[in-house]
Order: sequence, then C-alpha cells, then structure tokens
Amino acid sequence: MWLVFKKEIKELLRDRKTLFFMVALPLLIFPVLIGVAGFVSKQAMDKAENQVLNYALVGGQYAPEIVEDLQQPDKFKLVKISEDADYTVIIRDETVDFVLVIPENYSSNVLENGQTNIKLYFNDAGLNLVYRRVNEIVKSQSELFQQRAFSVLGLDEAQQSALIEPIVLEKMNTADNRENWGEKIGGMLPYILFLICLTGAMAPATDIGAGEKERGTLETLLISPIDRNKIVMGKFLTVAFAGTMTALLTVASMVIWGLVLSQGMAIKFVADFMAQIAMLDFLLIFLMLVPVVAIFAAVLLSISIYAKSFKEAQSYMGPMSILVVIPIMLALLPGVELKGVWAWVPITNVSLAMKELLKGTMDYYQLFAIFGSTVLIAGALFAFCVYWFNQEKVLFR
Amino acid sequence: MIEIKQLAKKFAVENPKKLSEQEKKDPRLKGRFFHSVQDVSFTCQKGEVLGLLGPNGAGKTTTLRMLSTALKPDGGSVEISGENVLENPVIARKKIGFLSGSTGLYGRLTGRENIHYFGQLHGMSEESIALRIKELADLLDMHNFLDRRSENFSTGMKQKTAIARAVVHSPELVILDEPTTGLDIMATQTVLEFIRGLKEQGTPVIFSTHHLDEVEELCDKVTVIDQGSTMFDGDIASFKALAEGSLHQSFMAAIQSTASE
Repeated sequence: MWLVFKKEIKELLRDRKTLFFMVALPLLIFPVLIGVAGFVSKQAMDKAENQVLNYALVGGQYAPEIVEDLQQPDKFKLVKISEDADYTVIIRDETVDFVLVIPENYSSNVLENGQTNIKLYFNDAGLNLVYRRVNEIVKSQSELFQQRAFSVLGLDEAQQSALIEPIVLEKMNTADNRENWGEKIGGMLPYILFLICLTGAMAPATDIGAGEKERGTLETLLISPIDRNKIVMGKFLTVAFAGTMTALLTVASMVIWGLVLSQGMAIKFVADFMAQIAMLDFLLIFLMLVPVVAIFAAVLLSISIYAKSFKEAQSYMGPMSILVVIPIMLALLPGVELKGVWAWVPITNVSLAMKELLKGTMDYYQLFAIFGSTVLIAGALFAFCVYWFNQEKVLFR
Repeated sequence: MIEIKQLAKKFAVENPKKLSEQEKKDPRLKGRFFHSVQDVSFTCQKGEVLGLLGPNGAGKTTTLRMLSTALKPDGGSVEISGENVLENPVIARKKIGFLSGSTGLYGRLTGRENIHYFGQLHGMSEESIALRIKELADLLDMHNFLDRRSENFSTGMKQKTAIARAVVHSPELVILDEPTTGLDIMATQTVLEFIRGLKEQGTPVIFSTHHLDEVEELCDKVTVIDQGSTMFDGDIASFKALAEGSLHQSFMAAIQSTASE
C-alpha cells in the first residue's frame, strides 16, 4: 500500500502541471491577482474621488452659499448650458457630469419656508461618487439651517437631539467579538477550503485512474501480485494527501499574504481574533478537513477509474464543484445548526463545525456524529471504489 | 507446465443497438452476451515457445488476459505447474510475466524506476532488484537510456523497458501479447532475441502475433484461434503439413478446415 502511495507521490511531484495547480496557484498567483484587483479598484476609487466634475447650475442665484462651496477648481468646474437644455442629453454626451437644480423657495428660514427640494441630475449607473460629493456640500448647508432654526426656537442641546431622533433603538450585542466575527469568517472558510481541496485533489485523481488506463499501465498494475485493496488504498491516500496539502498551503499562503498586504493596519485585529481561538480548536479545524477530503478522494477516485480517458474523467468531475457548494450553502441557512440530523449531513456538518470552532461555541460531542457519518460515507464510497476496481467491465471499458 | 482447458469468456452487451452489422452477424453473439472466447485449449511445456495465431477479434487478447488473471474466465481451467490460476490468482501472478500489446510506462518515472516499482510490487528485495535490472539492461542493451524519463522514449526503448518490467521477477512463464506490433526491424529483432534467450533458459513463452515468419523462426508449437475456439493445436511440423507451400496457406487451411465443418 505504501509502495503504491510512495510511487504515486513521486510521480505527482514530477508532474509540473499538477504541481502548478497545487502549489503555484494558491501560493503566488491568487494573492497576486487579488492584490492587483485591489490595487486597480483603489485606483479607480481615487480617480472618482479626485476627478474634476463638470457641472451645470440652475437657480444658483437662490443659494449663494452652495454656489460658493462649489467653487473649488480642483474638484468642480462650472459649465454654462442653455436654459432649455435637456439634462439627460447633456449628461449622456458628457458635456456635464451633473446638473444641480435649486428651487425658488430655497431659503435659510426653514421654519417659514419648509423643506427645500434640490434636484441632482446625474447618471447613477456604474461606479461614481457624484452623489456623495455633492451631498457633502448640501448636507453641511442643511445642518447649518437646522442649527439656525433650533436657535430661533430657543431649544437646548438635549431638546435638539431629541427632536432630530425622538426614539433611539440601541443595539446591545451579547455575542462577543469572537462569536461575531467567527460567524462571518466561519461561513466563508469552508467555501474556500473545500473548493481548493477539491481542485487540488482533482488533478492527481484524474491522473491516477483514468490517466493510468489511458497510458495502458493499469492492466500491468492489476496483474502484479498485490491486493486490489492495497492499490486502491494507495491511490486513495495519494488523492487525499494532495487535496489536504493544497488546502493547507492555501491557508498558509492566505495568512502570510494577508499579514504582508495589510501592513500593520488590521494586524492587531487579526492577532486579537487569533489569540482568542485555542490551539486545540485550530487543530480541530484542520482535522475537520480529514472527513471532507476522505469523501472527495473516494468520489473522485471512483469517477476516475470509471472514465475511459483523461478527458472523460475531467468532464465527469466538472460538476463536482457545484455539488460541493450546495451543502456548504445549507450550512449558512438560518436555523441550520450543528445538532440532530444536521450533524449527520456530510460536508454541511463540517462547514457548521468549522464555524462553531471559530466562534468558540463548539459542542465537542458532535464530533462523534461528524466523524461517524464521514466514516460511514467515505467507507461506503471506498468499498465502492474497491468493488469497481474488481469489475472487469469498468477496468476494460 | 501450463495447461489450458476449454477456456470460455462472455461479455455482457450493454447496448445491442450500438453493435456494427458485422458484429451482429458474428455467431458468438447470443442474446445479451457476446461469447468472445468459447472453447480454447492448449498446453505448453518447459522450454517451449507457443505461437498464438488468429485473425483480429478472434479472442487472442481475451485468452491471454485470462491467462494473466486480468480477466476471470467463465468456464474452463488454467493450470500452471499444477497450480490452479483461477483459485489462486495472486500466486499465479508471481509465476507469470505478462506484456500486453497496449501497455504503457509511467512517463514521469525513468526507465529504471518503472522496472524498480514493479520489482517492489513483486516483493523483491532492493539488492535483487538492482541486480536484476543490471542483468536485463545488459541483455536488452538499455544502459544508455535507463535513467532518462520514459515519456521521451522511442517505441523501441519503451518496448524494451516494458519487457524488462514484465520479467523483472524472473517468472516461470512469459506471456506476450503482440510484442512486435508497431516496432521497427531493430526493435523487433531485440524482442525475438529475448524470446530466444528465454527459450534457452527453459522458460516457456506464449506469444500472439500476426507475423508468420516469427512463428517459423521461434515456435515449437502453434495454436490457431478463430471466433473464440481453438482451430488447430499442435507442433510446428504438423502445422506446416496442413497445406502445401507457405505457412500462410497452413493458416488459412487451419481456419477453413474447421469453419467448413
């Protein structure tokens, strides 16, 4: 069994293509891509923030304060438009970025004139900061008017804030910081871990079953005096090992790159969060990968043995990643908790357990259910693998 | 030494509609089963080389696969030195060296590692594997490519490596399924030399082929199979005596004599 395992690993390590998917992709390319994407979007945001906006003003004479505030040549540029211009058209042909229409009744005397309705015409499809930037100016005016009205009415500060918001509903979160973030991160973690695990296991699985059939080495292997069970076990371990290693490498790279990229700003938060999670829980999180990988490896291996060729195996395995997402999504549904029946649903139970472990609210007895159901399922799948390895019609298809 | 009696093998036909016209006419198709091999018997003694002849689709490969225990026969018996292969496939596998026509190598391993791996699978010790590889490399002249990755081997190099792999455990019986098909003249010669070497050592060899000159050159015995049944089984002299002239005529006679019955 270890003989088969050793040889498969050796072969795997010599395969540049598989190695690329297992190591280079999670270690280098993903973080670089994420980094590039982040950089580009930051650039775009900066650009939107600093871009000089062309604007047209209608009824500017009613609101001299706003006109004054808009006179920042590095941010806004006034464009003259004809009185009967169609705002939609001039915005579409980019003559102006926005049109601000101030009504006649604009007045600082809020108590007499009531609410003023200023209209901002702009194209809000797509990323832009027009509304935010104009709103900054209008809001400061609005607050100024509010203050003026309050002083006319002669209200003290307590009365003022009570008038602005008569009743406040205050959120008192009984969950501590860890539970709060554990829920959020714990929901995401299985997605990433499982899918990477699956991708990592897929390449060697294809190679080990269908690949061996395609190259014609399977027959020779089958007539060597080694138990079929041992061949299957060796191959199974190889696939599982590859999957686990990929997942671990990815997590490690994510942690390292996360630390590097966040450059001190979020480190304290991350460190605090990490410090709250016991070593045992960390170990258990990674241990949780074992049942998942076992199921993946058994399924992938059966598919791979059944397939006639590489290509066939790959097209059978394609839908797997979609199938895997469903039980993870189930774990995110409200009301789905790690107890009773759900503790026995494969993959869902592990997703739930990961979340609980991160939150620190794990019921450790449920581990029995998790490992119990996994042993049953992986065992059955494994037996099926062995059965298939003994089927002539599968092997000599 | 090796005795095969009334070997039979049928395959379930999954989708009868997919079969070609020719396959449907084949008398071996009975209901949902295709009786690929129906009645094959032959024997091969120590030091003998047996040539297995037959047209394409006659059941040669299926027969040899059953001998090598890759497939399980539905009927008949295979005995190697009195050991029943069907009851004890693992022991039989140790005694047989099998090289299939469609075999391949692990491309990312070197020639030496390929042979080594199968030596290990046969439970050989490290020293004996190393010794045996050296011996085989001398015999098959493979020293200059033994430590290169086998994915870049030429067909001849691959075949040599495959042969070395098949006999690394010094089997009592060697079975070769079309060992010379697709090889150039030099490589073919190496294979034939190798079979001759085995014969001199007293190891029986069963090989299937389409080249009658190889049969004439090497074989002591000839078995002709057609449509899953043995049509002729005897020594080379009586095979030649089947018809006047060349072995081709003998072969045609062997197929027709029983077909017309």
